[in-house]
Amino acid sequence: MFLAVLQGVSELFPVSSLGHTVIIPALLRWKVDRSDPTFLAFVVVLHLGTAIALIVFYWREWVNIIGAFVGSVIRGKLSNSRDEKVAWLLIAGTIPVGLLGVFFQKAVQGLFASPMIVSLFLVANAFVMFLGERLRSRQAAAVERVNRPLESLDWQAGIKVGFAQSLALLPGISRSGSAIVAGLLLDLDHEDAAKYSFLLATPVILAAAVLELPELFAPQVHLVLVQSIVGSIVAGITAYASVAFLTKYFQHNDLRPFGWYCLIVGLVSFTLFATKVVS
Amino acid sequence: MKLLPIVLAAVCAVIAVLYWTGHFYPSGVHTKHGVVFAFLAVLCLVWYRFASNSSPTSVGKRL
Repeated sequence: MFLAVLQGVSELFPVSSLGHTVIIPALLRWKVDRSDPTFLAFVVVLHLGTAIALIVFYWREWVNIIGAFVGSVIRGKLSNSRDEKVAWLLIAGTIPVGLLGVFFQKAVQGLFASPMIVSLFLVANAFVMFLGERLRSRQAAAVERVNRPLESLDWQAGIKVGFAQSLALLPGISRSGSAIVAGLLLDLDHEDAAKYSFLLATPVILAAAVLELPELFAPQVHLVLVQSIVGSIVAGITAYASVAFLTKYFQHNDLRPFGWYCLIVGLVSFTLFATKVVS
Repeated sequence: MKLLPIVLAAVCAVIAVLYWTGHFYPSGVHTKHGVVFAFLAVLCLVWYRFASNSSPTSVGKRL
């Protein structure tokens, strides 16, 4: 239940869900076997719950986006429709993270899975957010730029945000945090940058879960079936509440509180692991 | 230029099949890699659809 709540919240808050699933069990001295089929199946259903929550939250948006995408393919032309442009921006942003994720995820996460290194990446995540906010305010002050709407981005900008999102392959770097920072540096406001980040995260999280679905058919999985179903529902509810909170939060606030959170948690965890208070 | 997406789609589709059948890597079948290349093949076909409908409102020019 704790892992389900952790997944639902940390997947969407810019604080790195992967980092938290490495650091917190290590701090609490839980022995989690990440290669155990029951654990893998549990993780798959948690991701499914999160993806379904995101689809439900943005369901009108998704209906419009998918309809506009199909329409543009049938016509073989792009119109000036906002939904069509957003659909193509989502595709442009998903390609880098899909390619890098499939080809490098296991290697990268195998290299950097130690709780001490993850703590340092969490600190780096904090600095990415601080730096993003600082550059953004400098840009706004120096050039008198105005915020652009999401649909005004071109496909190269979509790919840039996709690459930024790929930084989340490093455990401790947040997917939504890096995508929001990239959006801010492309002159989106916080609200649109967060929305683009959540829309981009949906196919990635869903695909990650769907591609791992065979894990659910491992022989031992029936032993954790009830826990998995309950976990999926809990992760879905917390993810829905998180995205509802964050979309409101980013209407008037920025990333800095999450940066401070990551900085403090990262430094405290690193100190505890480095001094072997927790081993 | 219109031929390029079709060639790329065919190449991606062949790579996808090779991944699924375990012929691309000696270490075995890589389903996810195959899915990614199949997805890229479909995207190349969509690109061809736009390229064959050549007008100023193609994807590259409008986005």
